[in-house]
Amino acid sequence: MSFKINVSTIVLAALLLTVPGEFSFAQATGSVLIQNATVITVSGDDLENTDILVQDGIIREIGQNLNAPRGTGTLDATGKYVLPGIIDAHSHLNGIGINEATNPVTPEVTMYESINPNSVSIYRALAGGVTTINLMHGSANVIGGRNATLKLRYGLGQNELKFKDAPQTVKFALGENPTRVHGQGNGIQPRTRMAVETVIREHFDEALDYRKNREAYLEAKERYDQNPQGNPPVPVAKNLRLDVLADIIEGNILVHCHSYRADEILMLARVFDEYGIENYTFQHANEAFKVAPELAEYGAHASIFADWWAYKFEVYYSTAYSASILNENGVTTSINSDSNELIRHLNHEAAKAVHYGQTSENDALRMITLHPAIQLGIDDKVGSVEIGKHADLGIWSGHPLSIYSINEKTLVDGVVYFDREADPDDVRLDRAIDPVVDYDDTSQTFYESIEGRNYDACMADVFMLFESSDNRQSWNQQIHNH
Amino acid sequence: MKKYTTIWTGVIFLFLFPFSLTAQDPPAYAVENVTIHLADGSVIQSGTIVWREGVIESVGANPSIPYDAFTISGGDSLHVYPGFIDGLGYWGTPDLPDPEQVSDPGNPGYERAGIEAQRSPEDLELDGDEITEIMKLGVTTAAIGLKGYMLPGSADLFFLNGDHTADHLFRSSVGMEFALEGAAGGWGNRAYPSTTMGVMARFRQLMYDAEALKDHIEYFASSEGSMTAPKRNRILEAMFPVMENEIPLFLKVDSPEDIDRMLVLKDEFDYDVVIVSAKNAAYKAEELKERGIPVLVSIDLPEKPGWMEDEDSDPSGEEEELYRQRQAEAYRNAAHNIRNLLDHDILVGFASTGLSAKDFHEKILALKEDGDLSEEEIIQILTVNTASVLGAGSRIGELRSGNIANFTLFNSSYFGEEPEAKMVISNGVIHEL
Repeated sequence: MSFKINVSTIVLAALLLTVPGEFSFAQATGSVLIQNATVITVSGDDLENTDILVQDGIIREIGQNLNAPRGTGTLDATGKYVLPGIIDAHSHLNGIGINEATNPVTPEVTMYESINPNSVSIYRALAGGVTTINLMHGSANVIGGRNATLKLRYGLGQNELKFKDAPQTVKFALGENPTRVHGQGNGIQPRTRMAVETVIREHFDEALDYRKNREAYLEAKERYDQNPQGNPPVPVAKNLRLDVLADIIEGNILVHCHSYRADEILMLARVFDEYGIENYTFQHANEAFKVAPELAEYGAHASIFADWWAYKFEVYYSTAYSASILNENGVTTSINSDSNELIRHLNHEAAKAVHYGQTSENDALRMITLHPAIQLGIDDKVGSVEIGKHADLGIWSGHPLSIYSINEKTLVDGVVYFDREADPDDVRLDRAIDPVVDYDDTSQTFYESIEGRNYDACMADVFMLFESSDNRQSWNQQIHNH
Repeated sequence: MKKYTTIWTGVIFLFLFPFSLTAQDPPAYAVENVTIHLADGSVIQSGTIVWREGVIESVGANPSIPYDAFTISGGDSLHVYPGFIDGLGYWGTPDLPDPEQVSDPGNPGYERAGIEAQRSPEDLELDGDEITEIMKLGVTTAAIGLKGYMLPGSADLFFLNGDHTADHLFRSSVGMEFALEGAAGGWGNRAYPSTTMGVMARFRQLMYDAEALKDHIEYFASSEGSMTAPKRNRILEAMFPVMENEIPLFLKVDSPEDIDRMLVLKDEFDYDVVIVSAKNAAYKAEELKERGIPVLVSIDLPEKPGWMEDEDSDPSGEEEELYRQRQAEAYRNAAHNIRNLLDHDILVGFASTGLSAKDFHEKILALKEDGDLSEEEIIQILTVNTASVLGAGSRIGELRSGNIANFTLFNSSYFGEEPEAKMVISNGVIHEL
C-alpha cells in the first residue's frame, strides 16, 4: 500500500507542475540534503564524510557540514556511498516496438514515439541504481531509427520520461542482422557486408543532394511568394528520412552503431571520416579492442558488454579484457546491458573490468556513468557528482564495485523513485493493470519473462525475418492450417 | 385492443408500397399516443409526432394532426426514442482482403501500406442486411467508415435504409479515419510501416508530400510562364481537405499514450481532430478538455474479470487477493471511462467502430449498470452529442420540429431486457423491421 502512496505522490507532483495549456516536459524535481556520505564523484576524487545539497533537482553544493535550507529534507547517508546515477547506453527496456524492420534505412522513425512509460522494468532498473537509458531502436536495419534518451521517472507519462535537451542519437547496424533480415530474408540489398557500406554511402549521397535541392527550393519559394515574377519554383517535398540523414552528416545527430567485427568497425570509421562525421559510438563492438588505437585516433567511442559473446557467429572472437584494452588506448568506453536483467546490476559488469584488466576502480565506474553520458552527449548534465549537474544519484550500502553492496535509494532530479526500505510488494502502475488479465497470467517470474539472457534484444520481435520470405510464408500457412 | 389492431393493419398497408416519398405517398404522417423520450431526458406521455416530407413538423403532448396526415396510433404502449447516431461504424462495408507478399517490404506502395485516403463508402456497395440489423437496435443515422489500417478512407454520413442506404447520403466526408495501425500482414509478410513509430513517420511524409503537391498545383494554376505540370495523385489530394481544416481526422486510439502520440502529430500539422474509440481516454480528460477536443467513444467495456462473476472463486492467497483488488479498480476505471469524460465537460458522442450488432444492446445496458451513466446521459451520447461532434446538430439528434424525422418505436423502454423495434423512421421513411 505504501507504494501506491509513493507513486500517487509523484504523479500528483507532476500534475501540480502542469501548467494548463502546456503539456510537455512537466518534470518533477526535488530538494534534499544528503548528509555524511562517501561521495564517488567519478569526475574527481572520492569525498568522505561529505554532504550534497540538492535544490530543485540540481546539485548546488558539495561539502562538509552543509545546512539544509528551510523546508529541505535530509537523508542521512552515514556509512553509505553516493554514486552518480548509472547510465545505460544500450537498452530496449520499455519500447512498444523496437524494430521498424521493413526497410534497410529508417532513421525517420524515432523511439521517442515508441515509449512504454508503464513498464515495470523501469522500476527494476531503478532498483539497480540506473537513472538514464538510451532506449534504442533495434539492429535489423543498416540505418535504423533514432533512439530515445530517457530518465527513469517511473510513474510519469511518456513525455515526462524524455531527457530534456539531450541530443538526438540514431541507431546504425553492421553485419549479420541487416544482411540476414534484408538480404537473406527479403532478397534486397544488403546481402553482404560490402553492401552494408554501399547502402550507407548511397543514402548519405542522396541526403546531401536532397538537402541542397530542398534548401534551393525553399529560397526560391520565399523569393517567389514575396514577389511572384517569372516562373514559380517546382516544389521539392520535405523528406523526413533524408533530412535525418543530412542532419547526421552535419553532426546534429549522434550515431550509435551496432557492430562486432574489427574490419567493419574500421570500415564505418573510414566512411564517417570521409563524410566528416565525428563523435560516434560503436555498440557491442566485441572486436573493437583489436583496432583500439585507430578508434582513439578517430575519436570514436565504444559501448560494450563486459563478457558476453558467442551468441552468434560474428560474436565468437571476444575477450573479457576488452573494456580495459579500449580504456588503456584512450577510447571512451562504456559498459552497457542491452538486457532488462543485466541493467539491474551494471555495477557488477563494471567490476569485471577491474577484475580482468586491472582497470582502476574510478575508470571502471566511469564506464557506467560519465562515459555513457559522453556517448549520449549529456555529460554536461549528468554522469558525475558535480555542482550544477542534475541530482541523479544512487545511494549504495557499500562501495558499488563490491559484490556485497546494494543500491538502497535512487534519485532522479532529486526525487526518490526507488527506496529499498519502502519497496512495496507490487510495483506495477495502476494504468498498467489490465482488468481482463487473470492473476495466473501475471505470476510469471521476472527471469522467465525476459528469457534470461538467451536472446539478442536488438532483434526483438524480428528474428523470423532472418528466414526467406518463402519460408515465412510456409510457416504462416502451417500456423494457419493448425 | 381494437384500436391497436387497426394500427398494425395500417402499418402493413403502408409496407405494401414503396417507402420512398412519391406522389402516391401521404403528404404527411403522424404517430400518436406514444411515450416520447426526448434527448434532454424529458418524457412526453401519450405524445404525438407529425412529419412531412421527411421533416418533423411537430412533437408534443397534444399537437394538432394535419388533415392530410396518415396517422398511426401507438396504442399507448410504444416508446419513441430519437434515432441513434453512430459516429463511426463499419456497417455493411466489405471485409479486408488477405495482404499480398511484397517483394520490397520497404516500398509497398500506398494501398499495401494501408494509405487509402481517397476511398469513400459512398463509392461502394453496402451490405443492406448488416445495416438492417443495426436499424433494429434504433440506429437511424451512421457515419460509415471503411475497415482498414493506417488511413482507410473518409467516413460518409448516411440515413440508414437497408439495401437503399447509399441513396440516403446525408453528408459525405464527415471525417478522415487515421489509426496507429501498421500495414497489413503478420510477421511473415509485413510491410512498411510495421510499427507505431513507423506509422507516425509515414504519416508525416504523406503530409509533406501532400503539401508539396498542393503548392505545385497552385503554382501551376497561377503561373503564366512555362512550368512543369504537377503529377496528380488522388491519395495525396484526398488529404487536402484535412490540411485546410475542412474535415477533421478521426483519430482511432484508446490508450493515453497513443492519444499523446496523435496529439504530437496534431500539433505539427494543426488539423482538426476527433478522438474515436477512446477506451482509456479518461486518463487524458484534462488535456482533451483544455484543447476542446471531442470524443466519439466506444461503448465496448471490457469483460468483467471472471472471479467477479463467480461467487465460488476464492483467491489462492494473499497475493492473489491483492491482485484482485487492483484488477477490480482497473475494471472500474475502464468502465467509468465515459463517466469521467462527461464529468470533465468533454463532448462525448458514440462510435461503434467494429462492435457487433448482437452485442449492442447488452453493451448499452452495461453503461448504465457498470459505467455509472444515467439513461438520459446514454441517450444524449447516442443522439445529440454524436450529432454535435459530426457537426450536424442542427438537423439530427433531437426530436423537434424542423429536424429530419429519425426515430424508432420500441415495444418497451430501451433499457428493458429485450426492447423490440416495431417501426424505424429514418430520413422520414418508415421501416417495419
